[in-house]
Amino acid sequence: MLNVSPRRREYETLPGINDLGVPALAPMPAGESEDTRRIIERFGADILAAGLQSGQQVIYTTPERLREVMTFLKKEPQLAYEALIDVTSLDRRDLPMDNGEARFQTIYQLRSYARKQHLTVVCPLESDENPQVPSLASIFKSAIWPEREVLDLMGVNFTDHPDPRRILMPDHWPYHPLRKEVPLGGEEVPFSLTFDDPMFETLGKQVLPANSVSPALPPGMNRQNMILNMGPHHPSTHGVLRLAVELDGETVLNVDPDLGYLHSGFEKTAENKRYKDFVYYTDRMDYLSGMNNNFGYVLTVEKILGLEIPERAQAIRVIMGELQRIASHLFWLSSHVLDISGTGMSLLMYATRERERIMDLFEMVCGARLTVSYIRIGGVWADLPPAFISHLQDFLDVMPGYIDDYEEMLTKGPLWEERLQGIGYISREEAIDMGLTGPMLRGSGVDWDLRRDMPYSGYENYDFDVPVTSEGDCYGRYVIRMEEMRQSLRIIRQAADNLPDGLYKTDNRKVSLPPRAELDVSMEALIHHFKLMTEGFRVPPGMFYHGIEASKGELGFFIYSDGSSKPYRLHIHGPSFNNLYAISMMSRGHMLSDIVTNIGSIDIVLGEVDR
Amino acid sequence: MDWLNLLIIPLARSVALILVLLTAFAYLTWFERKLLGRFHVRYGPNRAGPKGLLQPVADAVKAIFKEEFIPDHVDKPIYVLGPALALIPALVIWAVIPIAKNVPAIADVNIGFLWILAVAGVESYGLILAGWSSNNNYSLLGALRSSAQMISYELPMGMFLVSILMLAGSFSLVELLNSGRAWWEWLWLWAMFPLFFICILAETNRSPFDLPETENELVAGYQTEYGGIKFSLFMMAEYINMITTSAIMATLFFGGWRLPFGLLQNVQILGPFVLAFKVILLLFLFVWVRASVGRPRYDQLMGFTWKILLPISIGYMMITSILVVLFK
Repeated sequence: MLNVSPRRREYETLPGINDLGVPALAPMPAGESEDTRRIIERFGADILAAGLQSGQQVIYTTPERLREVMTFLKKEPQLAYEALIDVTSLDRRDLPMDNGEARFQTIYQLRSYARKQHLTVVCPLESDENPQVPSLASIFKSAIWPEREVLDLMGVNFTDHPDPRRILMPDHWPYHPLRKEVPLGGEEVPFSLTFDDPMFETLGKQVLPANSVSPALPPGMNRQNMILNMGPHHPSTHGVLRLAVELDGETVLNVDPDLGYLHSGFEKTAENKRYKDFVYYTDRMDYLSGMNNNFGYVLTVEKILGLEIPERAQAIRVIMGELQRIASHLFWLSSHVLDISGTGMSLLMYATRERERIMDLFEMVCGARLTVSYIRIGGVWADLPPAFISHLQDFLDVMPGYIDDYEEMLTKGPLWEERLQGIGYISREEAIDMGLTGPMLRGSGVDWDLRRDMPYSGYENYDFDVPVTSEGDCYGRYVIRMEEMRQSLRIIRQAADNLPDGLYKTDNRKVSLPPRAELDVSMEALIHHFKLMTEGFRVPPGMFYHGIEASKGELGFFIYSDGSSKPYRLHIHGPSFNNLYAISMMSRGHMLSDIVTNIGSIDIVLGEVDR
Repeated sequence: MDWLNLLIIPLARSVALILVLLTAFAYLTWFERKLLGRFHVRYGPNRAGPKGLLQPVADAVKAIFKEEFIPDHVDKPIYVLGPALALIPALVIWAVIPIAKNVPAIADVNIGFLWILAVAGVESYGLILAGWSSNNNYSLLGALRSSAQMISYELPMGMFLVSILMLAGSFSLVELLNSGRAWWEWLWLWAMFPLFFICILAETNRSPFDLPETENELVAGYQTEYGGIKFSLFMMAEYINMITTSAIMATLFFGGWRLPFGLLQNVQILGPFVLAFKVILLLFLFVWVRASVGRPRYDQLMGFTWKILLPISIGYMMITSILVVLFK
């Protein structure tokens, strides 16, 4: 028999142009803010460092006191960091460290909605062989899935974690892919799943970690609940999501999502791509809102670079971002209606028709419709074509009428409200505790929108409302998204009417390419062109987290730069991933049909959940 | 014995009827897809033949030549029986429907109404057995839904039929059309038609009451494990059921083969065409509903029959009986 077992190969990098000598550590935080001072006052020497880094509040603490610090941050009324947005980790193996410095760090992003503050907590771990850190699951529910992700991809153990399973990679995977010693491809792939594998016995019948809501049975009786395997190939799981559902009749007792079928390792890929080359990858994560992904990534890199973006570019970005939000919401609406009613095919077609107009607009500006890569570091790829504004105006004129039509078709028709009201209820406290973002958060009564509360790209210049409702159910989220489309139109109209003249991308030649004509007359331009095309630009050492309000929630990028032209570590906080965590809690006690309603209401894209 | 009248003629009529129905089924799929296309702002099938008219033929060829695949984990005899059992009642009901003056499709039995009720009851077995024998969770859930739904909706439907029966005063459908109706009878019947139509939608598992096969929840419900021609048999059953029930509704509510005001009563040859025209109008209604009305949840569907439809139907029957006693 032919031996096809793959062998371990040494991974080679191209020597030469990209060797940059010794990489540098990000600088430690300096200075202080009111919050860091208050934290140091309380914990003293256990706060290893605190202050501002690239304008963001950062504190370093030890694993021993991590839980205490977090509880303090959450409970102390003057701090009130009520939400844990993201958990990630860093392997510093390839960085120039002093002896005895910790190799692994876990990094937490905290948010205070009331005070509009953001805080990064870094926790260097003690052991390099067996890194351990206490789990924050008992303080923030939103830590559960991201911690599983860190465990899976970085191999950091979380003590007292309620559910310490891998989340993206297969259970028997031997590596932790984000560790620096794992090569980018070329490693042996363990195809151990054969028919002799004991896993096959239980595949699709796993005993769920059930917090069942089944009624108490009389003594002596027992009942076996049906385990229904929904997905990964199921019409309504919006991609390759697998749900193991425990059913009592048609009542859902528990839902256990199984992720990772679309795990593409974007974070690992990013470590080997130059900053400017990773823009194209971001399109592929949430493939329904490519512009927003570009936007979030590009802004993060620009923040580390400290780059000034011309106002025209900022306004174009806002127009694109909001158009993309409408397109994404239209797609959400059409698939949501299809999932719920089956017969709502008509609405799917109508909403797709309008989305098509937005796609056409995108095609006008960049030639692509779905994976646009239009927003680039330093500005946008090309200036708006002359006919764009008039086409945009046409769209702006007709769209409000269409949104009213959709609403009328749904809310005036029978059954739509009955199907949504009271389904998938999330209270305000739960929404914050689970770290939900976007319409999920606003649907539960938290008045928070990054565009308004932490403005970026000139959003502070636009006049728009943030719809909030405290209904907390699928109907509330439906109302929010419909209203968001109208508000987006408002923003676009303002941006299009006052579109400033000027450059569409920065003229900083260290970052953006010189125009072709300049190459013929300027030696410097030629050098810049050559350096940018061969090496890319270098980003000063630093660490930065930046979130934008994407259509599905907060899309955050965390970048650790070591001074080279590639990110040393890039972490993506996808809104779908955190929002999907709520599915189990939302669906318990409801009917089987409501699972589908809830998935639609969360609005997930698996490309982003699995990344 | 009179072989000709007892066997040969009914047999010939049956064969002709089945051929007509199968052709009608094929072109009903075309009709529905074209119409849905219009509702959805798209074209619908337009590649095979002029206006896509050969599309049903292409689909039939494809279904027939697909691999005849029976999964390993199913209960084979029942699995094969399922689609057949679903199709047969849809065809058999036609026996009693009059297609022209004094001409029933096959036989003028004097228990026409009972025949319809009885055969409609058998219908659900096909789906239940198919879902049960498939040995698949989705199929099982679909089968359970279909049994509960069909049995529940048969109750109000039966009540409504009884009301019509009381007005007609005869079990025979041929007699029903021969005896005229007073104007208040027509109005009283038409007032009930929307509710009866809802029952029919549920009976035929048509959208928005297609809960046994809800693709968005149950993948394909009871027919998940079926493919090729066996799957087509289920589709056939559903569409022929639509035609059949439309014919029943046309007969009960809209005078079947008769033109309004007794026009051209004695031109026998017109009967089938008038009936067909009415059936097509009712089929349009089926498609229209499919394109515009959303699906209820399973518990809402059941709540609707038992809490709303059934009391109304009983009340309707009681009032009808009073009216019959007073005015007839």
